[in-house]
Amino acid sequence: MNELKQICKEALTEKKARFIIAYREDKNKKTKPFIARTPEDAEQIIFNHQAVNNLAVYFPRFKNSGEGKIGIVVKSCDLKAVTALIQENQIKRDDLFIIGVNCSGVVRDTTMEFSNDNTQIKCKYCQAKTPPYYDELAEESKEFEMPDDDQAELMARIEKMSSDERLEFWSAEFEKCIKCYACRQVCPMCYCEKCIVEKSEPQWIDTSSTARGNFSWNIIRAFHMAGRCIGCHECERACPMDIPLTLLTRKMGMVASSEFGYRHGMSLTEPALIGTYSTSDKEDFIK
Amino acid sequence: MEEYIVSLDNLKKIADELLNNHCRVIGTTSENKFKELNYAEELVLNPGAVPTSSSFKEFFFPKTEPLFFYKQNHSNVDLFNPIQDKSKIVIIGAKPCDAASLPIISKVFNWDYKDDLFNSRYDNSLIIGMSCHYSDEFCFCNDLGSSPENMKGSDVFLKPLADNYFKVVSVTPKGAEFINEYQKYFEKDLGKNKSLERKEENPKHFDYDKVKTWLDNNFENKFWDTAGEMCLGCAQCAFVCPTCHCFDIVDEQNGSCAGRRAKNWDACQFSLFTKHASGHNPRDNQEKRYRQRISHKFKYYMDKFDEVLCTGCGRCSRGCPVSLDILQIVEEINSLSGNSNSIQ
Amino acid sequence: MDNIYKPELVEIKDIIDETPDIKTFRLQFKNPELQSSFAFKAGQFAEYSVFGEGECTFCIASSPTRPEYLECSFKLAGKTTSAMTKLNIGDTMGLRGPYGNSFPIEQMKGKNVVFIAGGIGLAPVRCIIWNVLDLRDQFKDITIIYGARTVSDLVYKNELEDWKSMSGIKTVVTVDPGGETPDWKGEVGFVPTIVEKVSPSGNDTVAIICGPPIMIKYTFPVLEKLGFKEDNIITTLENRMKCGLGKCGRCNIGSVYVCKDGPVFSYKDLKTLPQEY
Ligand SMILES: Cc1cc2nc3c(=O)[nH]c(=O)nc-3n(C[C@H](O)[C@H](O)[C@H](O)COP(=O)(O)OP(=O)(O)OC[C@H]3O[C@@H](n4cnc5c(N)ncnc54)[C@H](O)[C@@H]3O)c2cc1C
Ligand code: SF4
Ligand code: SF4
Ligand code: SF4
Ligand code: SF4
Ligand code: SF4
Ligand code: FES
Repeated sequence: MNELKQICKEALTEKKARFIIAYREDKNKKTKPFIARTPEDAEQIIFNHQAVNNLAVYFPRFKNSGEGKIGIVVKSCDLKAVTALIQENQIKRDDLFIIGVNCSGVVRDTTMEFSNDNTQIKCKYCQAKTPPYYDELAEESKEFEMPDDDQAELMARIEKMSSDERLEFWSAEFEKCIKCYACRQVCPMCYCEKCIVEKSEPQWIDTSSTARGNFSWNIIRAFHMAGRCIGCHECERACPMDIPLTLLTRKMGMVASSEFGYRHGMSLTEPALIGTYSTSDKEDFIK
Repeated sequence: MEEYIVSLDNLKKIADELLNNHCRVIGTTSENKFKELNYAEELVLNPGAVPTSSSFKEFFFPKTEPLFFYKQNHSNVDLFNPIQDKSKIVIIGAKPCDAASLPIISKVFNWDYKDDLFNSRYDNSLIIGMSCHYSDEFCFCNDLGSSPENMKGSDVFLKPLADNYFKVVSVTPKGAEFINEYQKYFEKDLGKNKSLERKEENPKHFDYDKVKTWLDNNFENKFWDTAGEMCLGCAQCAFVCPTCHCFDIVDEQNGSCAGRRAKNWDACQFSLFTKHASGHNPRDNQEKRYRQRISHKFKYYMDKFDEVLCTGCGRCSRGCPVSLDILQIVEEINSLSGNSNSIQ
Repeated sequence: MDNIYKPELVEIKDIIDETPDIKTFRLQFKNPELQSSFAFKAGQFAEYSVFGEGECTFCIASSPTRPEYLECSFKLAGKTTSAMTKLNIGDTMGLRGPYGNSFPIEQMKGKNVVFIAGGIGLAPVRCIIWNVLDLRDQFKDITIIYGARTVSDLVYKNELEDWKSMSGIKTVVTVDPGGETPDWKGEVGFVPTIVEKVSPSGNDTVAIICGPPIMIKYTFPVLEKLGFKEDNIITTLENRMKCGLGKCGRCNIGSVYVCKDGPVFSYKDLKTLPQEY
């Protein structure tokens, strides 16, 4: 804990970063994002099991916002978003001061203590507790028991469904959507200045929260994440209607991996799958 | 006036009769969500439960509803009013912070022009409120002149007693009529059932008048630069809120010559909300949009309609993906209010 | 049910191409009774709709003293306006209104009036100009100062000529520097500069001003210098609107709802409002 504070304080004092997007605790002991601008602010910086937010979501706001590096505190899973954004030319590695933290899992439900039952699914398949690259590294990782990947079971169940059953399953889930767009707003990979739902000429998607409007929104969002989702699970955490959004994005990531041998957000040098074409790409899905 | 009590079982029997009489019965379920009940057994009344994650406003002000339908054949256009569901709406188990929202938003829906879409549902409803035995760090009904026992907005009010009984208070003439109609399910209160006491008083956090005074004078203040800085601009807070009432109006074509115009939830946290067609946007960043949210709730609505546009339910904070806590923001304003000149 | 959101049907009786991207529609209610009962005041606006495309807000650009029809002038801006440009004479539209407050015509009576407009901002001003001209003897001197970016962006070209030829009205038309044509005989310069040049006396005079925010911003100080009193400078605001009824919640400036408490405000009123327009 002190190590992280120390690193951030130094970074701000020595102007290695002009500010740091980090976590702090409020007076109710709730962990939340904040921006540390001065070494004094850095006193508030913490990291714990409640540090769920993927802070890379704040990058677009600071595009062309001035000289100097942007500091950010990242967990291993968050770093995938940073990498992916670099791969998609949204930000440059050189403009970042990355403070990695060793993570030993974050909570699923932020109103409860961290426990084996209250751990995010992504922590189950998180492959590195230590971010693969960084400018500074803080925190000792503690061993923790992997939670059950209960999503894998659900996924298997859905895969066995007939297409009608699947339609029924998703219709019932999307019916609940209220079009608050929290899923879009928390997603570090949703950075379009103008989202497709905001385009009115032509109107691609009904903006109403009707069965049709909801279906098109949720499916379009999922499609736009195909092979791009880095699996932070923020969308699902933010959704006030408890729609299992990552079932779709995770599944597509698995397909990208099995069909194209690609995982987004894993390499600073590999071009993004969505933006490349190779003659060896499978075409058997084109019928 | 006679004093009555009612058992949970009998409340369910009432719900059953209401359902048979084609009423829309809305109650909390085992998932702690407001739901239109299909059968009375689904009803779960738990005064100790946290406020539901979404409010029940959608039963009065749906997330999407038709304003009218049109049919168009060249220059011939016919417009049709939406068919109105005339069923009575009965809400069972509204917390004080839920029930109070209806008379509050009714004011804007009836400011001069009457919104009969809202009115036809609200006028034809019966709200059975229930005192609340829950409180967490996000609750602040007490600070807004309400309390866990406040009956504002309820027609009938239930106070939990031991052994799944409730003391019944008739609040409005509508409520009295209802009790009369279902008389057979109510028992005379012989004072035998102990009332369930709330364990502790909810704490006081701020002085509303102080907050209002500060807001009156500090539209421009550096506090706003950081207050909403981390806000992501989703509308979770507005959409789950019982008092947020903003909407959009859109047309939806269905085929080439027919369709509807719809009224859809919208919110001031969205960046397009106030954007002019010219591209100019008076609230061009999230900090300004967050200022609007707080100011509308705690100042503008008071200036216009003599009500705070907030019941203190804490939903917006519980669900906020970045844990922006409206109570803490108001508390900060409260503490700034003491020395409002020094922080300009 | 009384449905405040359901428009009345109007027919397009005439279309005038004002500029490459501005048109004027002359509209009449399909129901003749409505045409005779529809009453409005200069400065009010309405919600116009193309079914299937949407609804948008324009001021009523014709004068209440000419009740046989309604006119609106609109600039191509987005979804609904682009659908409107595709409509023809005889087509049907929807109309709700009139909404909002109006120009303080009583306050103007017996005084000099200066009308200042820029671009499409002449639409609401035209409404009150005709209103005043139709009651000519109740007002003193009248000055009209109108500017657009280029000669081809000037709206109501015929009426500008009419006003110029009327006695007792001073009409000055200007285009932005670079917007003139070789045969342009009017002024060249931005509206605030031309106002300074024409220099109408602020004494016992009401100024009605409407146009792009930047024009308004730079004209206010000029008017103050000319001795106009704050409450004699009147403008109209264009916050984003949807309902026009004080319900949808997007048009507010602080505690003021532009659709209900406005759109007409005096400079004095504006000074008490936060900068949110
Ligand atoms: C009181 C009042 C009086 C008015 N009077 C007049 C008048 O007399 N004449 C006149 O011409 N105008 C007038 N206006 C402005 C007029 O209302 C708008 O120009 C009109 O509503 C545009 O409608 P639209 O459907 O064509 O635009 P929309 O399709 O609604 O497009 C504009 C809006 O949609 C969103 N949007 C859609 N596409 C884009 C995009 N590509 N980029 C950014 N944002 C986008 C934005 O939120 C933007 O505000 C008035 C406005 C008010 C409030
Ligand atoms: S789609 Fe969901 S899980 Fe994937 S990157 Fe976006 S927020 Fe994270
Ligand atoms: S967060 Fe959930 S409710 Fe909100 S728009 Fe996304 S899917 Fe719909
Ligand atoms: S306050 Fe929270 S819930 Fe509301 S818009 Fe901002 S991020 Fe979303
Ligand atoms: S603003 Fe928040 S606390 Fe207030 S009524 Fe709405 S959801 Fe509840
Ligand atoms: S807070 Fe925002 S969304 Fe809620 S009622 Fe006010 S303006 Fe509308
Ligand atoms: S336009 Fe809807 S409230 Fe003013």
